[in-house]
Amino acid sequence: MEHFREPVKTDCEELLARFQATESVRYEQFLEIWRDMNFSSIYYGKPEPSERRRFARLILSVVSPYFFPPYTFQIRVGGLFLLYGLFNSQLVTPREKIRVSLKDWKDVMQFQRDAVNAQHYDVVYIFRKLLTDKAFYFTAMPIPLFYREKKEDGRKMKICEEFVDPSSRPQELVTTDMLEEIANIHEHYEGLKKSVFAEPDPNLDLIQKNLVPKLNGAILTYSNWQWNRTESEQQDDEEGPSNQESSRRAQLLASIKSRSYGQAVEASKSRRHRQTQLVPAAEAEFSLKVTPKKKRKPSLKTRTQYRFNTQGNESEGLNVTRVWCMSAVKEEKAPEKRKKKFNWNPEKSSDPT
Amino acid sequence: MAEGSVLMHEDEQHENVPAFEFVNVNSTEFHIGTFRDLWLEVLNPEVYSHCATAPEVEDVEFIEEMGIEPKTLEELKHICGADSLKRGHEDPDSLPSDPHLSTLKLRKRRQDYKETLTRDTLDRHEVYANELEMISVGKKPESPGDLIPEGEMVLTFNIMYPVLFQRFKRVRAFQTVHVLGSQRLTELRDAICCVSDLQVFGEFSSTPDMVPQFISKDHYKSAFFFFNGTFFNDTRFPECRDISETTREWARSRGFPHFRTAKMEDASFYDLRMKVGFPYYYTHQGDCEHVLILTDIRLVHQDDCLDVKLYPLITHKHRVVTRKCSVCHLYISRWITSSDALAPTDPCLFCDQCFRMFHYDDEGNKLGDFLAYAYVDPGTFN
Ligand SMILES: [Zn+2]
Ligand SMILES: [Zn+2]
Repeated sequence: MEHFREPVKTDCEELLARFQATESVRYEQFLEIWRDMNFSSIYYGKPEPSERRRFARLILSVVSPYFFPPYTFQIRVGGLFLLYGLFNSQLVTPREKIRVSLKDWKDVMQFQRDAVNAQHYDVVYIFRKLLTDKAFYFTAMPIPLFYREKKEDGRKMKICEEFVDPSSRPQELVTTDMLEEIANIHEHYEGLKKSVFAEPDPNLDLIQKNLVPKLNGAILTYSNWQWNRTESEQQDDEEGPSNQESSRRAQLLASIKSRSYGQAVEASKSRRHRQTQLVPAAEAEFSLKVTPKKKRKPSLKTRTQYRFNTQGNESEGLNVTRVWCMSAVKEEKAPEKRKKKFNWNPEKSSDPT
Repeated sequence: MAEGSVLMHEDEQHENVPAFEFVNVNSTEFHIGTFRDLWLEVLNPEVYSHCATAPEVEDVEFIEEMGIEPKTLEELKHICGADSLKRGHEDPDSLPSDPHLSTLKLRKRRQDYKETLTRDTLDRHEVYANELEMISVGKKPESPGDLIPEGEMVLTFNIMYPVLFQRFKRVRAFQTVHVLGSQRLTELRDAICCVSDLQVFGEFSSTPDMVPQFISKDHYKSAFFFFNGTFFNDTRFPECRDISETTREWARSRGFPHFRTAKMEDASFYDLRMKVGFPYYYTHQGDCEHVLILTDIRLVHQDDCLDVKLYPLITHKHRVVTRKCSVCHLYISRWITSSDALAPTDPCLFCDQCFRMFHYDDEGNKLGDFLAYAYVDPGTFN
C-alpha cells in the first residue's frame, strides 16, 4: 500500500495547486476542480481484500497535514475541503476516520476562529459537518507509531514549499506591541536624560530621535520589497512551464539520476550551447525535489548526463538517447525478462544502490 | 474554564500533550490519564458522543453562532452537500480506461498485471486478518451496563512474539490488542496468547490421559510488565513470585538507577506514563520475553466495538503454519515422542488419534519403549 503514497501525494498536490491558483477559499471553486479531475474516482478499481480500507486510511493520512500549519490559510482550507471530499467518497463502511492529535487541535480551533471572523461560512460549515459526522479520531499522535523508521520518511513528509507563505521573520519580530514598547522605553530614556542634564548635551544623542517611525518604515519597505518580488517570481513562473510539466520533469530527473552512474558522453557543441539556459533552473529543481536529503550538488558526470537526456527528449529522438545511454536500453528490456514480478517504480527501477 | 486554573495547570498541560520525541518513531512521555482529561477539556462532548446530534439543534446553533439567516444556511447545505462530489453514475469497481490521476495510473498498471497472473492471488491470511479486525466493529453490548462510557480511551498494543521458534526469525510475528484506558494491566496480560503459557511439562507415555490439567499458565503464574522504569508484577495468586527480582538485583549491582516495582493488578493504563511507539517489555514463564509497543491512543469512537466485555480486543494475530501429524499429515500434532522405535524420526510428532493407535493396545496398555511429551503447536491460536 505504501507504494501508493507518492502518486496520491502528486494527485492531491495537483488539486491543491489548482485551488491555490483560483486565489479563492470558496467551496464552489474547489468542487469545480474536484469534479473536473473526477477526484472521487481515486477510490475506484477492483479491490483486493481490505485494500480499500487500507487505501482510505493512507489517503486521509497523506492529506491531513495540508489542514495544518505551516501551510497558508488558503491551502489549509483546500486541505479541509479535500478531507471532506475524501471522507465522503470512500467506499468502505464504516468509513475510515481522519486523525487529529491533541497538539494539532489548538491549530484547528484557531483555524475555525479565523474562518468565523472572516465570515467564510462554507469553510465553517464543512468543518462542523465533519465534526457532526464523527469524521475524526482524537488521538495522541498524528499517525500510529511502530518504532520503525522507514528510510524514505524524510522525503515523504517533506513540506510542499509552494503552499507555504514566504517567511516573514522581520515582520514577526517587529509587531505593534513591540513598537509601542520601544516607544515607551525611548520616551523614558529621553526623560531621564532631561532630568540629568539641564541643557541637552549633543554628546548624548547616541540614538536617533525618531527611532520608532524609522524602524517601522524599514519593516514596511522590506515587506513591500518582498511582496513585489514574490509577485514577479510568480509571473515568471506562469510564463515558464506549467506545474504539471515541472513535476513531469522532476520525475524525469529522478529517472536520470538513477541511470546516470554509467558512461560520460560528449555532446556536440551546438547542443551544448542550446542547453546552457535551461540547465541551471532545472538543476535547482533537481536538488530540491529529487534529492532533498543530499545537499551536495550532483556530480559533474550526473549533470552532464542530465543535459544529454534532456537533450534527447527535447529533440523528440528517443533514438538519440539510446545512442549514448546504453543502460537505458538495457533497462527497458529487463522487465520483459522478469515478467512475473510487478515493478512498482518503473522510472526508478535501475537505481544501482 | 477560569483563566487562573488554565495558567496554574499550564506546565502539567504542556508536558502531557504528546509530541514527537523522534520524528515518526516515538512520542514524548506523557501521563495517559491527564492526556485524556486534556482532550475532554477542549472538546464539546457531542463531538465524541455515541449518538448523533439532532440536525435541527445543529442548524440553530450554526445560525446563531455565525449570525446568518436561515436562508443562508439552506444555501450552504445546497452548495456543500456531499452528493455533488460524485460525477454521474459510475461503477466504482471499474477504472477509467485512460485515467488522469497518478494513483489510478498505478492501480491500473497493477490490475492489468494481476490479470496476467494465472494463480489465484487471494491471500487467505489477509482476508482473515481483516475479518478479525472488522468482526467487532460497531458492536453494541446486550446489556446497557456494558456500554463503554463516552470519552473512554482506547489503547492499541502490538505484542511481538519472542524468537522462540527459529522459523519466526524473519517474520515479525505479533498480535494486536485494543485495551481500554480504565482497564488494569492484568487484563492485558491475560489477553496475550503465547504458546509458552500452554507448554506442558513432564513425560506422559504411561499416563496419556493425565495431560490436559497441567498447563504452564496455571503452574507458573508470575509475570511482569516493564513500563518506564517500573516493574509491574502480577501478584494476584499466592504462587506468584517477583520474577523481576533477578533483573533488579543485577541492575543494582551495576550502578543502574533504582527501578521501582508495583502491582500489575492495581494499576490501570490511566495511571501510567508512557511513550507512543516506544518498546516496552512483558516477561512471563520465567524467561519468555515479549516486546510491547503502544502504537496508538485515542478516544473511543461510536463505530468502535462498544461492548466493555469484549475488551481487551484482539484485532490481529499472526498466523503460523501448523505442524501436522507425521503419520496422517492431516491433523495438528499433539504429541512429541523420542527414543521411539515405532517412529520414523526422533523426535516425532503425532496427532492424538495416531499416537494412541500406534503406541497403545485396545485396553490402553503401552506398547514398547518410548518417551512421550505433550506438544503444543504454535498454530494452536490461529
Ligand atoms: Zn511468551
Ligand atoms: Zn495423525
